[in-house]
Amino acid sequence: MPTVPMTTPAALPADWRDLLALTKPRVMSLVVFSGLCGLLAAPVMLPLAIGFTAILCIALGAGAAGALNQWYEADLDSKMRRTANRPLPAGRLDRQTALHFGVGLAVFSVLLMELATNTLAGLLLAASILFYVLIYTVWLKRRTAQNIVIGGAAGAFPPLIGWVAATGRIEVLPVLLFAIIFLWTPPHFWALSLFVRSDYAAANVPMMPVVAGVAATRRQILIYSVVMAAAAVAPWPLGLTGWIYGGAAAVLGALFVAFAIAVACNKASEPKLMGPEKKLFAFSIVYLFALFAALVADRWLLA
Amino acid sequence: MTKVVGEEPGDEAELIRARQRMRARIMAWLLGGFVVLLFLITMDKIATGH
Repeated sequence: MPTVPMTTPAALPADWRDLLALTKPRVMSLVVFSGLCGLLAAPVMLPLAIGFTAILCIALGAGAAGALNQWYEADLDSKMRRTANRPLPAGRLDRQTALHFGVGLAVFSVLLMELATNTLAGLLLAASILFYVLIYTVWLKRRTAQNIVIGGAAGAFPPLIGWVAATGRIEVLPVLLFAIIFLWTPPHFWALSLFVRSDYAAANVPMMPVVAGVAATRRQILIYSVVMAAAAVAPWPLGLTGWIYGGAAAVLGALFVAFAIAVACNKASEPKLMGPEKKLFAFSIVYLFALFAALVADRWLLA
Repeated sequence: MTKVVGEEPGDEAELIRARQRMRARIMAWLLGGFVVLLFLITMDKIATGH
């Protein structure tokens, strides 16, 4: 009869730090911030405990999606240097624990959101988790170079959920915020995938630089950056925000496009020489934080 | 000399107990926090007339 040695990682109870790592805390920070901004930009002010719960649920939902993503992609993660030390590929956690943790967290976050705020917010949170796990992770990621383009919708939900948690309605401004993150995702991820493309190629993930090449990816980054910058300014001329947001969106958008032009002009194919790509990736994170902070400042100072 | 964790049965049992203790403690704090949160949500709902 085969025996399972006591020293296998699966025999140990999971360390809480590994369970926390499953939720991708760094990704979660941007999700929480954009969700919070959606909630704070809404014309209805939620009571403190309910507002806090709405943001907590968005964070837990994002954590659940991250955990289920890592559960499904453990084989891919083990082939990429960037992800090889995650709890599952490193063997510190067994897959069943990750699955139970992810599903439990997802169900809990959706039910609590519905209980604390409203049904539409709960449904949107459920849709965002299912979209990320089923549409992006399971269906698109290993099949098409457009994985990030369509999958980006999952990350675009939080400001919409925050707004709906406060108002109970879907309106034009939160839909535009959704569109901004949707258009921001491809240049953000493609900039990253340019300098880690050997990782994606080794794992057989059809990211744009692996399938279409470096030059085509750089062109696509520039096109998406221009469209995103225009979409980000749109709420101002439409009368949905004031000049604080409009000015910030224009300046930040111009900087984003300038970084994207530097990427488009770069001819290097060695990751070591991809300074513009690394700068664009870093700036894209600052961009989203600053843009949403400007939105909240605009709504609170000019409303 | 470097000691490999889990090499001896005693080490293994101690590591398992330590992790179980830590997880039980965290779970207790989370459940306590959840109860407080439910109470505050209920108070807010009553205050806003829901």
